[in-house]
Amino acid sequence: MLIRARFAKLSPVRYISHLELMNALRRAFRRAEIPVAYSRGYNPHQLLSMGQPLPVGMTGRGEYFDLELIEGIPPTDFMARVNGKLPQGIKVLEVKEVPAQVKSLMAVVNVAVYLVKMKWADGQPEEKEMINTFMEEKEIKVLRHRRKKKDRLIDIRPLIHDLEITEPGLWRFTVSTGSEGNVRPREIIRALTNYFPEVRPVPLINVEREGLFVRINDRLYQPIDDKVVGS
Amino acid sequence: MILAERLEELLYRVTNPTRYIGNEWNAINKEWTGERIKVVLAFPDLYEIGMSHLGLKILYHLLNREDDILCERTYAPWTDMEELMRSECLPLFSLESKHAIRDFDIFGFTLQYEMSYTNILNMLDLAGLPLHSRERGEDYPLVIAGGSTVFNPEPLAPFIDLFFIGEAEEGIVELVRSYDRYRREGLEREEILFKLSQLPGIYVPRFYDVDYQLGKIRGIKPNREGIKERINKQVVTNLDQAFYPVDFIVPHMNIVHDRAVIEVARGCTRGCRFCAAGIAYRPVRERKKETIIRLADQILASTGYEELSLTSLSTVDYSDIGDLIKTMSERYEERKISISLPSLRVDRFSVNLAKEVQRVRKSGLTFAPEAGTQRLRDVINKGVREEDLYDAVRAAFEEGWLTIKLYFMIGLPTETEEDLEGIVKLARNVLNIGREIRKKRQKKMKRIEIHVSVSTFVPKPFTPFQWVEMDSKQEMIKKQEYLRENLKGRGLSFSWNDPELSLLEGVFSRGDRRLASVLEAAWKKGCRFDGWSDHFAFDSWREAFAENNLTIEEYLRSREVEETLPWDHINMGISKKFLIKEYQRALQESLTGDCRFKGCTGCDVCFDLGVNLELVGGEKSAD
Repeated sequence: MLIRARFAKLSPVRYISHLELMNALRRAFRRAEIPVAYSRGYNPHQLLSMGQPLPVGMTGRGEYFDLELIEGIPPTDFMARVNGKLPQGIKVLEVKEVPAQVKSLMAVVNVAVYLVKMKWADGQPEEKEMINTFMEEKEIKVLRHRRKKKDRLIDIRPLIHDLEITEPGLWRFTVSTGSEGNVRPREIIRALTNYFPEVRPVPLINVEREGLFVRINDRLYQPIDDKVVGS
Repeated sequence: MILAERLEELLYRVTNPTRYIGNEWNAINKEWTGERIKVVLAFPDLYEIGMSHLGLKILYHLLNREDDILCERTYAPWTDMEELMRSECLPLFSLESKHAIRDFDIFGFTLQYEMSYTNILNMLDLAGLPLHSRERGEDYPLVIAGGSTVFNPEPLAPFIDLFFIGEAEEGIVELVRSYDRYRREGLEREEILFKLSQLPGIYVPRFYDVDYQLGKIRGIKPNREGIKERINKQVVTNLDQAFYPVDFIVPHMNIVHDRAVIEVARGCTRGCRFCAAGIAYRPVRERKKETIIRLADQILASTGYEELSLTSLSTVDYSDIGDLIKTMSERYEERKISISLPSLRVDRFSVNLAKEVQRVRKSGLTFAPEAGTQRLRDVINKGVREEDLYDAVRAAFEEGWLTIKLYFMIGLPTETEEDLEGIVKLARNVLNIGREIRKKRQKKMKRIEIHVSVSTFVPKPFTPFQWVEMDSKQEMIKKQEYLRENLKGRGLSFSWNDPELSLLEGVFSRGDRRLASVLEAAWKKGCRFDGWSDHFAFDSWREAFAENNLTIEEYLRSREVEETLPWDHINMGISKKFLIKEYQRALQESLTGDCRFKGCTGCDVCFDLGVNLELVGGEKSAD
């Protein structure tokens, strides 16, 4: 039985890395005595796979994992048992059984939505104009810093689907993620600061990933949505 | 709580912020009530090192089991974190409640390694405490220390209010409660310390004067009426019944030993003459097999760990280790839990055990012959014959292991060139054995690799070698160069210790109180994390010695057997007569047996401390 779960990673565990998060989940499954399926071979490991990694320091409320089980267990039971054994800050929010042949999270997720606290902003009409000007650009080049590789100049404009102000001081970025292209919130902020001197840099901890999504015909669906998992 | 919020905002600036966030699974967050006695346990190194240490975990859970006590943890912040803390005026804090260390009643350090002593000073300073015990009045937490290097506490004497000598399970709760009672009575710090010094195993250094003459100690005497002459080491009797935690904290980050740990036995009586732990934790006390299995079940259920380590100084010597391992690997196989052994004896029996627990030959096997010739192995009382080693590695290669790590020491007493040649010879023979087996095998095997790891012998207090001279830097370098030249080539690799670091370890392990000012000077020059090669600044240490009119060299000298040693007022329960006898037997190259199998060797610990061998692990099955 394959299940897909939506979960949140919040303070105080916002600072743990992707691999540490996977370990925390695996150990919680063991503590909760979930009948997890293991890979075959000499060095068996749990059949757990994750969505796109959340940057260290950022919180997330729409994160996902897939887990293979060797026997059926009602989704509500799974959720209650695992939540009782997870460290503070990690919480499973929704669980669904999905067909075994469902496409992996890494393969389907192509959009990420971020909420960014802009401490300097107060919701003035000029901010909306700023966004309009920015989004009218045909090309927005930023320097991407890559680990152990040379920096590279990339065009992030096609990767930004939408920028909006949800409330004074809080902006929502809807952007591409995954194999089709990836843009980091800080790259957008860096580009914004290049265009508009009033935009201030934002520390990572003021950014939250609201969720990972699948874009189908210009509409966003949660990876756990029936439209995506097809059940 | 304000500290917690500020940390949350700042931590993205440092490397590995997970070190500082706490909130791990099973961490204990007790409410801060006025009645509770607040203890913070400190490990003077990084989180991932400190969280791997069993002793501190035992004490953490032991103290938190008491309703009137709360116990939290703190570790040494890495240099980038220290910089951040100093620039943002953040004091050293506890991981659980993020309280400043100054808010605690007791600040307890574990001492595991001499080269982390500068971190202790740094942590006192980051906590906002004066470094010197005498400058800390009633308003400051009581600073205590214990652990495996506490048996020579002298270099830290001025900084620590009191030391606990021995296994603290025996007296820590009483110590904590007594301190609290005297404090609530409104006594002054000096009087509290006097009263606490009456408890067994408690050493309050300010009540002892050391008299020096020409660089040697003339005497160590109590300077106040009613202070005991000697401090007896405390020992747990009946380990099987002793407290052992099961709700271990599960760290978020990968730590050095990231697995469940069960202490199957304490102590080792093999009697290697260089080994401090072999003397310090006598006699051998085992847990019963049923107890081990019951604890293991509970630990695995509570932590969710996928690996369980059966730990002790020499686990293969556990009475019925064969049956224990068989039972456990069968019991946990279905749950995909692997069992690990921290160290192996040099014999075929050990390899068979390793085979039993390691279904995958992922890691290599490590053996420690310690010395290159039979003569020198007899001197150090390491009862290993050359054939034992060949037998063991043959079994390992036949079972499919490809990497063998061999541990040796240089600088052992009476060492000659022949002994160094012996290391090279043994390593090459092991490599050849592996290659032959590889050639004969039908199945394709990867390349055989032999890693030779050579550390520098450091004479330790309370060992038969506590009197010997330590190698100079030039001698170490010469020997290391010889080995480097001769352990070259395909399939061989060689690693060694930084000679300058070994020198300082040697100085501090047999050091006296005069070194405290050197330590302080070095810390002021920026020394911390000295055990980490990227931070070790030997020149600063040299300067620190010079400023205090001391030299490194004078601490490396051999000591007279009649001489008063800086730790002579600590009673380990092992008689000096026994150590002298063992020293002489070493020079005669004669072996001393293990009291578990060959009868009492006269170390006196059972008589002196009222303890016994506790060999309750079952009938020994045939090796």
